[in-house]
Amino acid sequence: MAKKWGQYVRKWMTQKMDLPQDVMMDLPRITMIGQVHIYIENHRGLLAFSDGEVRLLIKGGQLLVKGKAFVIKTILPEEILLEGKIDQVLYISD
Amino acid sequence: MKNQWIQTFSGTVKVKLTGKGIERFLNHLTRNGVSIWNVKKHGSEAVTFYVNLQDVKKLRIPARESQCKIRFLERAGGPFFLRELWTNSGFLIGACLFLGLIMLLSNMVWGIEIKGASPATEHQIRKELDKMGISVGKLQFSIDNVESIQKELTDKIGALTWIGVELKGTTYHFQAVEKSEPKKAEAVGPRHLVAKRKAAIVKIFVEKGEPVVKVNEYVLPGQLLVSGVYGNEDNLKAVAASGEILGETWYSTKVELPLKSTFQVFNGNEKRKYAIKIAGKALPVWGFGKPEFSEFEAEMNEQNVKFFKWELPLKVEKTTFREREQVTRIYSREEAVESAKELARKDIKNYLPENAIIKGEKILHQSIENDKVKLITHFTIIEDIAVGQPIIQGD
Repeated sequence: MAKKWGQYVRKWMTQKMDLPQDVMMDLPRITMIGQVHIYIENHRGLLAFSDGEVRLLIKGGQLLVKGKAFVIKTILPEEILLEGKIDQVLYISD
Repeated sequence: MKNQWIQTFSGTVKVKLTGKGIERFLNHLTRNGVSIWNVKKHGSEAVTFYVNLQDVKKLRIPARESQCKIRFLERAGGPFFLRELWTNSGFLIGACLFLGLIMLLSNMVWGIEIKGASPATEHQIRKELDKMGISVGKLQFSIDNVESIQKELTDKIGALTWIGVELKGTTYHFQAVEKSEPKKAEAVGPRHLVAKRKAAIVKIFVEKGEPVVKVNEYVLPGQLLVSGVYGNEDNLKAVAASGEILGETWYSTKVELPLKSTFQVFNGNEKRKYAIKIAGKALPVWGFGKPEFSEFEAEMNEQNVKFFKWELPLKVEKTTFREREQVTRIYSREEAVESAKELARKDIKNYLPENAIIKGEKILHQSIENDKVKLITHFTIIEDIAVGQPIIQGD
């Protein structure tokens, strides 16, 4: 009950006060540069990593990036910069 | 993204990770603040990535806890680069030594060539050069400059009129011009011998001609001593009279000597400084500080450093400081008179031919006025008084 209340308040505040959603709602911010780079902030950890697939834990689910020749350029506790040829970005909800 | 230059300086390591749970391991690392970059997957159970050198220790504990194995593949950056330099430093040292050796050899004397001198003179020149420290294998820094070599050689070797000294690269070239001393005029014409100054004859030794004077006779300048004409009246013969007529002659000299005199002398104390001069700036190498002499004279000598035949913009500067001292000499009266006599003797010898003998000396006048000794000395000398006088025929 309390959690739902909190979420409700946050949603209301972002709408009314015009604050960026990724800050208030703890959502990932994804920046893509063409097919080449994908920059994901606010992730919760690496789940799987291979040449053609990267699975990241995010709030309320997983993010699946599919493509070719993936290289993690940088990885920090909450950020990841991925290089390669990106084909798909998928949200998988719990 | 971070600037990777700093990481390159501190050193980076490429790590290969194999096993299960690679992703968990990577998450663990990032949470512990280890920065990872260029993560690449190789097959299903292997991954390579780069970490900082100082973070390598942080890999150990998580690696033990997980089921992964770590291998280090490449090392790059600062400390590894330095180590590589160190292992290859032999080349650098070798190159430096080589340059140094070439420079040393370029500044040595490798040859001495003497032209235009007879073998005897050449030998003499070589001996003199050895004494001056110029020989094959000597460093040019220890040798005086060309002008002073020239001066010294001309001074010391009498047979030389002139000597050209030239330093070409590492060889000294000497161009000698010998004195061609005129041969004594052997064939002199008929002559008499006459007295050159007033004297009392002491000894007569005649080789040719007819003596006219006798021992103990008093002669005046120009007086005939040995006649070049002899024979009876019908058969007169004119010859070149020769011989030695020793006569007692008289000289007087006047000498003045101050009782007190000051002069400057070098007392032998000296200090040497060496400096390397690069583009007009001198960098002291040996001999520091100012000379502790109150009065001194400085002599500077510059020498170019050569590399093969080229002169480098590098000079070796040698400065010699010689201490100067003022010496005051005070004579007592007796000493003053004594040294005035000595001075008079030296003075008279300048006038006399070498084979003259001082027979006696007599002080005519001696006075001390205004701190000065005045001495007039009378010398009795025995010398050859004969000079030739040609006989003019036809009278």
